[in-house]
Parts: sequence; structure tokens; C-alpha cells
Amino acid sequence: MKPLSVTSPAIGLRVMWTYIVTGLTIFLLMLLVGISMRGSQAGWWTIEPGTFYSLLSLHGIGMLTAMVVAGLGTLWYLVSRETGLDARVAYLAYAFFVAGVACVIVSVVPGHYGALWTMLYPLPFTGTYWPTWATGAWLVGAALVMLGFMIWCGQILGALLARYGGLGGVLAVDYVLHSRAFAKLDREPPPPQIFAAAITAIDGLIAGAAGLTVGVALIVRWLDPTVAIDPLWAKNLTYLFGHTFANLTMYMAVAGIYVGLPICTRRAYHTSVPLVLAWWGTLLFVIIAYFHHLYMDFVQAESVKLVGELASFLAAIPVVVITVYGAVLLVHRSGMRWTLGSMFLFTGLIGWVVGGVAAVLDSTIPFNVDLHNTLWVPAHFHTYLLEGVVLFTLGWVFVNLEQRAGASSGALIRWLAGLGVFGGGALFVLGFYIAGAAGVPRRYAVEPPPGPYLAGIATVGAILVLVGLLVVAYEALRLARLPRSEVAP
Amino acid sequence: MRRPRVVGLVVLGVAVLVAGLPLLRGPIELPVTQHHLLHAALLVGAALAGVLCGGRDALRRASPAWIVLAMVAPILAMLLMWPSAYSFFEQHPAGHALEHVGIVACGFLAGFAGERFAAGVGWATGGSAVLMALLAAFGFGVAPPTAVPIAAVAEPSLQPGASGRRNTGASSPAQPSHGAMIYATNCAVCHGTAGEGVSGPSLKDERTRKNLRQTIEWIENPAPPMPKFYPAVLTAADVRAVATYVQTL
Repeated sequence: MKPLSVTSPAIGLRVMWTYIVTGLTIFLLMLLVGISMRGSQAGWWTIEPGTFYSLLSLHGIGMLTAMVVAGLGTLWYLVSRETGLDARVAYLAYAFFVAGVACVIVSVVPGHYGALWTMLYPLPFTGTYWPTWATGAWLVGAALVMLGFMIWCGQILGALLARYGGLGGVLAVDYVLHSRAFAKLDREPPPPQIFAAAITAIDGLIAGAAGLTVGVALIVRWLDPTVAIDPLWAKNLTYLFGHTFANLTMYMAVAGIYVGLPICTRRAYHTSVPLVLAWWGTLLFVIIAYFHHLYMDFVQAESVKLVGELASFLAAIPVVVITVYGAVLLVHRSGMRWTLGSMFLFTGLIGWVVGGVAAVLDSTIPFNVDLHNTLWVPAHFHTYLLEGVVLFTLGWVFVNLEQRAGASSGALIRWLAGLGVFGGGALFVLGFYIAGAAGVPRRYAVEPPPGPYLAGIATVGAILVLVGLLVVAYEALRLARLPRSEVAP
Repeated sequence: MRRPRVVGLVVLGVAVLVAGLPLLRGPIELPVTQHHLLHAALLVGAALAGVLCGGRDALRRASPAWIVLAMVAPILAMLLMWPSAYSFFEQHPAGHALEHVGIVACGFLAGFAGERFAAGVGWATGGSAVLMALLAAFGFGVAPPTAVPIAAVAEPSLQPGASGRRNTGASSPAQPSHGAMIYATNCAVCHGTAGEGVSGPSLKDERTRKNLRQTIEWIENPAPPMPKFYPAVLTAADVRAVATYVQTL
């Protein structure tokens, strides 16, 4: 079957910028929500607990949606450079995201919904302080976001199957299993970013189906309180979707490394057999890595917990090690200039590794028992998202802007942006890590000591991140306004 | 007509015939899990038929509406698997058959629309419909499979006379009553493990406020926000057992 001709670059870029600008705007708004919560935990101002949990619900799903939307935009553009994609489907998925976000905002702002997005049944139906309609608006909003995500996954999967002649071609099965014959035929495996797109699409569809199953069950339970739901089943499906969805944000953003760093270093990032094997590991194991959220659920079988531990390691470690190793080799003695783009891409690798190590610790059963209900968990996913996914996204944005304008930023801007976003981010997550190690519980509006003191340090870090991002936004607008240039920066 | 399409239509015909079986069998009674699983089996045939019928010779720019239909169809199938409606359908064979036809239509649409959108996507969207029905069988409209009282799984070292041995779940002379187990599973989350009250009111000395009959009536017909467990989750015997237990708190 012949693929459609490659999408026009102008269309691809328009879709990408629509998604990325929307994602980063939601991210900035959610950062303000996050600062307000951390400041309240530090005792700088007071937020009533009910309002705190509503804000926490908004912050959680808002941040994740922001990162997903930005990542999907990047991947859509990268796939559109390889094969034909219909922009109408991308805008349709986007419309579902916007409608879902609108429902969530209605649920939280006038409705005061406060059971978070990874709520555990019988939440969000019992012990509530918000009206029933707010629960319904939240559930419908979350379902719309999932539908938008699955529409995107369906489109990318279809395009890749057509371009590479089926699933075997997309996953480079012949390249790995029959490498000599593959080379003799002068065939090329898909470029690395295609693995990121394929794994996002395949695992996204599986996780989305699980998420919609529990989502529809909760909507039915909302409409008909006589319908019973097994709490352990609901927790498993909630985390199957939630953990996979959160993990995939990183794999979407990593595509920016595979394409962005080669632009900065003027070297190519080639597909290799270890890289393909690592992505196969992620494809298989990221779906079941979520079991580490249920180590302390006594009714879950012990064997499942051991599978979860192994899957957590195999989903994350190989792809991190090989991608980072490849990226370091790419940069080593390349004479790469440290522009904002290359700086963010490279520092994002540090955040990915540190957040990944903290995640692996949490997924190790003996540590998990002590760490999982503490601020260690938000520490690891904030590192992963803020110091990893966000930096990769910003790096990709600046690589594009610098390439388009044929210019880069001055040293002062680079220092201010770097210190603010990376340095402030490091201070921010440090507050979480120390508090987690000290046993401060997570998801509490009011924390026991030393929580408030460390929340103060974290708030300073988050404000520095905000200042850094304002510098970044100013610089992005400046570069975007420069006339297009054909000369590389 | 291409051969896959003919095979697809045959498979669809078989699925519709199977969907009509309740008309032959008359009223039935099945546990929710089995009922969901049988619906998942119907969806396998319907989705397969959809994929076979939806395939085409050349790739073209498909309407975005196909992908929306393919994604929404599994949700509609799950809504047709509304557990509290099963008891009605089981007693009304014509309605039951109609419900099955609806499920087959959703499964077919999931596979067909996905495949019309792009070759290969129908397998994913049809598979999603089957996966959702299979997953539903293990918890949607299904109460927890084992009712382990919270007290029995508390940290052994915190219990009087504990030897530090792990609780294996084996029965012992101190096995709590059926009512206590139902209470631990369904009521303790809101009313507390010992009836001390959490988000719901305390049930301590409830016997001074309601006698056994009044307690049973309340559980059978509670006022919001207390959820109604009878008859979907608890049988009349369960309600009596848990009401008897509540009287002892």
C-alpha cells in the first residue's frame, strides 16, 4: 500500500505550533496554581483545604494535559515529515482536548471538585464537599481528553502502518532479526523519532481503552448509584491509564532530542539495534509498570507486584541509557554552540536521568513501602516533567526558532533563562525530595514539620522558574519576530 | 465483491444470529461477569466483521468522522452493558436480543470505521472495543470478589496477641460473621472500621436509634448521600446480615 505524499511543511508547522503554544500556555497557568499551593503549604498565605484540593485536582490534570498536548504537536510534525497526515484530524483531536479542559475548569472553578484525577473509588462519590454535577463534569472532561488522545493515536498509527508496510516495518522487526538480509537489500529502518511516535500511538491506544473503561464505569456509577464497581479493579485501570499517559509525555518529548540535537551538533542520530530493542522494552513494559502504585494493596497478588517491579526497570532504564549515551556521543567534540535550544535539550537529559533514578527507587518494593505515600513521588514526577519534558519541549521550540531566524540569544539571556528554569527547578524539586525522605506525606493541604519549611524553599524555586519562563517567553517572541533566514545560527 | 468483504458479511450474520439467541432461550439469569464476557465474545465477531468489510484497495484521504465513530463506538457498546439493566433484559428476551444487536452494531462500527479511516486502524479500534468489554467483566457492576474484613488484615503486630506471623487468609475460629464482612467491604469506608464514623455518620449505638427492621429499611432505601446497595450489590439476606451486625456496634 502506498503512503500519502508527505504533508506540506507549512501545514505541519502550523499544527505543531498550535499544539505547543496551547500546551505551554496551560503549563504557565498551572505553574501559577502550583505556586499558590506550595506557598500555602509554606504558610505564606492561606488557602482553605477544600479549595486546596480543588486546585490540586486542576493542577494535576492540567499539567499533564499541557505536556501531552505540547508533545503530541511535536510528534505530529515529525511524523508529517515522513508521511502524509491530514491536519483536519489533528485539529479534531485538539478540539476534544479543548472541550475536555473546559469541562474540567467548569468542574473545579464553579463546582469545587476536589478528588484529583487519579481518584480511588469510592471517590469521587463519597465523602465529597462538591455538588454531584461537578463530579459528572470532571468525568466527562477527562473522557473527552482521553478521546482526543486516542484520535491522535489512531491517526499516527494508521499513517505509520501505511508508510512502513505494517507493524513489523514500524517496529523494525526485520532490521533486528534479519539484519544481514536487511542490509543487503539496502533497506533503512525508521528514524529514532518514529519509534517514539509508534510507542506513543500503540501504548496510548491500549492505555486509552483501559482509561475509557474505568471512565465510562464511573460515569455510569455517577448516573446510576446502584451500579457497583470493584475498587481494586478501578484502581488498576486508573493507574494503567494514568501512569502510562504520564510516562508517554517523556517519550513524546524525547523525539525532540532525536531530531533537535542533530540540528545543533550537525551530526545524525542513527537508529541502532540496541535503540530498537530498548524501545521494544518500553513498548511492552510501560503498560504494566504501573503495578508499583499498588505494592501496598494487600489484596493484589504478590506475583503481580514482582512483575511490576521488573517492568518498571525494563520500561525506563534501557531507553534512558541508550538515548542519553547516544546524545552524549553526539555532543562530544561536535563543537556545538550553547544556544538556548541546545542548552535546554541537554539539561533536559539531566532531569530525565535524575527523575528516572528517583522513579526506579520508588518502584523498588523495599523503598516503595517507605517512600510511596510521601512527597518523594511528586519529587520524582516533577523532576521528570519540569526538568525533563518541559526542557525538551523548550529546547525543541528554540532549536526551531533559532534555525528559522538564523540567530540565537545573548549570554545574559541564556544565563537568566538557564538559572531560572533549570536552577529554580532544581531548588523546587529539592524541597520535595528532602521532604519525601523525611516522610512528609503527599496530597496534604497542611503538612507536618519539616514540610512547611521545605515548601517555602520549593516556592522560591518555583517563583524562579516562573521568572525564567518569562525571560524565555520574551526571547521566544523576539526570535519569532525576526525575519526568516536560510543561514543556520 | 472482494472475498474479505464476503467473509466479513458472513461473520456479521453469525454475530447477529448469536445476538438473537435470547429469543430462543427465554428468560435467563447470569452473573454480571459472565454476561459481560458473553458480550465481549459478541464484540469479537462484530469487530472482526467490521474490519473485513471496511478494508479497501487503495489508501485515500478518509473523512475525520470515521476515526471519531471508531473511537466512540466502543464507548457506546460499554454503555449498552449497563449492569443494573441486566436483570431487566434477562427477563425480557426481545429487549435482550435488541440490546445484543446494539452491541454487535457498535463492535462492527468500531472495526469498520477504523479500517475506513486507515488500513490497520480497524484492528486497533475493534480490539479496543473487545478489550474494554473484557476489562469490564472484572469490575464494572461487580462487587469485590473477596470480602476480607479490614480488621483481619491490619498489621498483625498491632493486634492483641499477635504472633507476628503473616495473615494467610486461612479461616480461624475467630472468623468474623457474614454481616461483619459485608460491613468491612461496603460500609467501613464511610462509617469507619468500628462504626466510629468517617465521612458518614457514626453507627455506634445505632440500635438505640433504629431497631433491626428500621435498619434494614434504611439500608434498602437510604437517603442521599448514602449509596443504595440493595438489590444491585447486596441481596435481602446480605442486608439482614449487615443490619444485624450494625446493631451490635
